[in-house]
Amino acid sequence: MTSLAQRNQKMAIKLAVIALLMFGFGYALSPLYVAFCKALGIDQAQASITQSSAALRLEFDTNVASGVAATIQALDTVQMAQAGGIVKTRFLLANTSDQPLKLRAIPSFAPVRAAGLLQKLECFCFDELVLQANERREVTVVLLVADQLPAEMGAATLSYSLQAVAQ
Amino acid sequence: MSSDTLHHTDHGLATHHPQGGWQRWLYATNHKDIGTLYLWFAFVMFITGGVMALGIRAELFQPGLQYWQPEFFNQLTTLHGIIMVFGAIMPAFTGLANWMLPLMIGAPDMAFARMNNWSFWLLPPAAALLIISLFVPGGAAGGGWTLYPPLSIQSGMGMDLAIFSIHLLGLSSIMGSINIITTVLNMRAPGMTLLKMPLFAWTSLVTAYLLIAVAPVLAGAVTMLLTDRHFDTHFFKAAGGGDPVLFQHIFWFFGHPEVYIMALPAFGIVSQIIPVFSRKPLFGYVSMVYATCSIAILSFMVWGHHMFAVGMPATAQLFFMFLTMLIAVPTGVKVFNWIATMWQGSLTFETPMLFAIGFVCLFTVGGFSGLILSIAPVDTQMHDTYYVVAHFHYVLVAGALFSLFAAVYYWLPKWTGYMYHEGRGKFHFWWSMIWFNVTFFPMHFLGLAGMPRRIPDYALQFTDFNAIASVGAFCFGLGQIFFFFNVIHTIRGGVGPAPSSPWEGGNTLEWEVPSPAPHHTWETPPDLATVQRGLRAQAVE
Repeated sequence: MTSLAQRNQKMAIKLAVIALLMFGFGYALSPLYVAFCKALGIDQAQASITQSSAALRLEFDTNVASGVAATIQALDTVQMAQAGGIVKTRFLLANTSDQPLKLRAIPSFAPVRAAGLLQKLECFCFDELVLQANERREVTVVLLVADQLPAEMGAATLSYSLQAVAQ
Repeated sequence: MSSDTLHHTDHGLATHHPQGGWQRWLYATNHKDIGTLYLWFAFVMFITGGVMALGIRAELFQPGLQYWQPEFFNQLTTLHGIIMVFGAIMPAFTGLANWMLPLMIGAPDMAFARMNNWSFWLLPPAAALLIISLFVPGGAAGGGWTLYPPLSIQSGMGMDLAIFSIHLLGLSSIMGSINIITTVLNMRAPGMTLLKMPLFAWTSLVTAYLLIAVAPVLAGAVTMLLTDRHFDTHFFKAAGGGDPVLFQHIFWFFGHPEVYIMALPAFGIVSQIIPVFSRKPLFGYVSMVYATCSIAILSFMVWGHHMFAVGMPATAQLFFMFLTMLIAVPTGVKVFNWIATMWQGSLTFETPMLFAIGFVCLFTVGGFSGLILSIAPVDTQMHDTYYVVAHFHYVLVAGALFSLFAAVYYWLPKWTGYMYHEGRGKFHFWWSMIWFNVTFFPMHFLGLAGMPRRIPDYALQFTDFNAIASVGAFCFGLGQIFFFFNVIHTIRGGVGPAPSSPWEGGNTLEWEVPSPAPHHTWETPPDLATVQRGLRAQAVE
């Protein structure tokens, strides 16, 4: 017969193993969650853009850093991009102050891997922009879409944030 | 091996005498010393979290920003939640389990005395991390105790300190749980089968299993949060293809059983106290055990009811809604069994009994408001309002905290060897009972009227109820200082020495040892007759 100390030790090891497995289970929930969402068809972002496997829904988001007296507005907030195609989109910039403004737009992508599928041929974010007092100006972005679009990526958001450039 | 030898050979430590001064506490391996450490730590944390709550209520006394910036207000609510859950309630129950389990099941000590010391001493550094986080650049974590991303991914280093603190607290809980399970399963006195254990042992056992199952899941979730913050993983970061809703699923897979981790030991305590002061055995002991296990199992399947508002398919909402409602069945079994125990009993209303009855009444109110929140379409309306705040404070203050007060008054004579002052105990009960309700009952109305939680300022129409709640909170807080002096008075002699069994109806094994309980007890396990006598409390002899 085993002693109490041995039985206790055995039980402690078993319980510690359960705790470790549960720690792993926490991580396993990440892929399980994706699998469940797919299997149950509750991946809503996917469902709305499945008309064509080769199409990518592009959403354009704009922001202005605090304290900058300017506005920016996407004139086409959503566009569908076809594989291998070109997307041209327009934005309206405005200086709302009585002083000239030196600005620069900082671009970003979500999800980040969309950056590899969309090549910027032309972008107002490439250059510094000088807007005179109360000036409004239309600017453009031209994107070349990759030949192959992964089926699992349904949508991408391109965001542009206006920052003031130090004078 | 006879159980006699078993107790002697495996407990070499039992021959040690306590060291003097600080060494006794730093190197403590005796279950009673460690239980005392846990209880005092929990009390200090209770006061710390309570002061934060008063900071919140002071700001909410009237509309507008009075004392705190909104960022600091958020930090107060976050730390109040984390400290009360992980620093006060959970360690207090572990402390009680440490103190009482070996006494109640006839074991000489906990199974792993040195690990027990580690489980406790992980807590102070964890608490220190949380407190220090208030003073780092950017302040403490401010995303609520649920730590939802994206806020928790974006915030400053206070969040990292909170994450490390949660790691330590989780580790401590897991080690404590391993100790409790091993002690209860392997070290019971001969003749005490599982279905003859005191109910507090049952609830501690089930709670410990719950903790081993879910504490590591929380540890995983906060580790993922940490790597998202610093190592460019994208579990929850939407910009990298992760999903913040995934965090909510993982958190509540831990979080909902956590609610029962704080409620089940309370059920155990109340199930010990009510039969004693009713002078009747516990009604429906076996159904109580099954109800405990059912609640534990169901608690794993209902996490989604915390997320009705995230945009869940109707089928999933129905699934979580019905399962949540189902928990009311075993909980109802418990409440009716407590009432049936009191029915036609020779009741007396000493302080522990008052707190136990207070628990049953107010926990039932909290249970009913929970039932209302379980209805998905209603929850969509009430989500993140003060109704939810009222609900969980009825469950956790009138539930967990009142049961802890009941336990302290019930076992204080056994711990200190002195009787507490009954009048002062009763005053503490009535004071707490009245001001608790003044604080939290108006919150139901505030929530129904649409006041959101976690806001430092509010619309004018919420002023009156908020003022009432704030007055209630300060008075409730004041009463707990009275409780502290009450306990100190008892430790210093109280109203005189306590007999080994101060309560007329006390049958369980802890009342067989002298008061105060000697440093080492049950080095020789209790004989069968003693165990049988102890079983009267459950009427299963």
